[in-house]
Amino acid sequence: MKHDIDSRRIDAFIDGELDLASQLEIEGRMRVDAELRERIEGTRQLQATVREQADYHEMPAALRERLDALAAPKAAQAAGPPRAAALVERWFGWRQAAAWLALVGIGALTMHLATVQTSRSDRLLDEVVASHVRSTIGQHLVDVASSDHHTVKPWLSSKLDFSPPVNELHLPDCEFLGGRVDYLDGRPVAALVYRKGRHIVNAFVWPGTAKDSQADFSTERGFQTARWSQGAMTHWVVSDVNREEFDAIVRAIQSAESAK
Amino acid sequence: MGDEEDRRRFVQLALPHAGAAYNLARWLTQNEQDAQDVAQDAMVRALRYMGKFHGDNARPWLLQIVRHACFSWLKENRPAERTFLADDDDSLQEMPAPVGDEPQAIALRKAERREINQAIAALPVAYREVLVLRELEDLSYTDIARIVEIPVGTVMSRLSRARGLMRAALMPGTRPLLRTVPRAVNGGNAP
Repeated sequence: MKHDIDSRRIDAFIDGELDLASQLEIEGRMRVDAELRERIEGTRQLQATVREQADYHEMPAALRERLDALAAPKAAQAAGPPRAAALVERWFGWRQAAAWLALVGIGALTMHLATVQTSRSDRLLDEVVASHVRSTIGQHLVDVASSDHHTVKPWLSSKLDFSPPVNELHLPDCEFLGGRVDYLDGRPVAALVYRKGRHIVNAFVWPGTAKDSQADFSTERGFQTARWSQGAMTHWVVSDVNREEFDAIVRAIQSAESAK
Repeated sequence: MGDEEDRRRFVQLALPHAGAAYNLARWLTQNEQDAQDVAQDAMVRALRYMGKFHGDNARPWLLQIVRHACFSWLKENRPAERTFLADDDDSLQEMPAPVGDEPQAIALRKAERREINQAIAALPVAYREVLVLRELEDLSYTDIARIVEIPVGTVMSRLSRARGLMRAALMPGTRPLLRTVPRAVNGGNAP
């Protein structure tokens, strides 16, 4: 049996290594193709099993000591330990080894937590960009088309379990197109849509717990993105405008928000 | 004078990835003592080459050095292991999807840690290295391509094949596949 999607593409898909168009294409086909879904699920499961179960070999303490010696400044290496202090040295050596083991343990745990955290925010970044692209290529840009935030806000509030901040931005050549309900990070979110020149800007917002934070900018597949927390809400903004305009939009959203 | 600067950068940039260096060496040499020696050798080289490194992410750079050290070691000590693969061979690309009445999920969940480790250890080294770099070091295809010095397309094929072999090895009743070693092709690294 020959599959019409090469297994290499499935692997690249679960690794998030396909270009955006192919990624979206496979996502689309998954919805209608049960066999494809099963293959993807199987590959994901294999990946999860390997990642959870395969040994990550911790560095033996002996090697750690040799590397520390390598990293120590030249002067310290040349001096060498005086004979009389050999016993003390050895005892400290043991303590150091034990301390290293503890550190390695803590390090591994922190790294693990960091990895979990990173992969979650990376996945969210992917979701946000994919959602933005879908909204711009499909017919479904807004659910409620209105440039009046007094119309959009109550509509969104009635569809969501929270009341999103809805602001008009006072920027040249920038138009508020309306809002829609989208689905990100496993929950319904508000998407506010602006047009800046010829570019569409999606501003996603949903309740968060984090304290207010500075905007964290990144570029993903050519799209500008920014994320931050403000007023107990998580904000994500994504667009294909250039970096300067994007900065101005993010600042405008933040200041409209804090002016209230 | 440059020495102390190199040492400082080594401590700051390379040493934090010593754990990854050891893990890779351990999976490629398949034993603890040799892995220590090879990893140390690689770290010594990294310190020596430190002045030539100008990027901000030293991990792929360091792992490339480690991989080189491992392959020199394999060449000396395990010449039979250094099999290189014809990556364009179509027969290697497609692994039959597991079809059977037993759901794959259950079979995989039952696979014990030991079996997973054995299955990885049994992979030909060219597949093993990409799998370890992808799943245990969580590196991107681009980084893996740089470390292994192969095109990204080849990373894709090898990784896909590695997962296919893993899947086959972990399915019940397919134990003999563990021993399957693709035919060796002499010569360099480049396909």
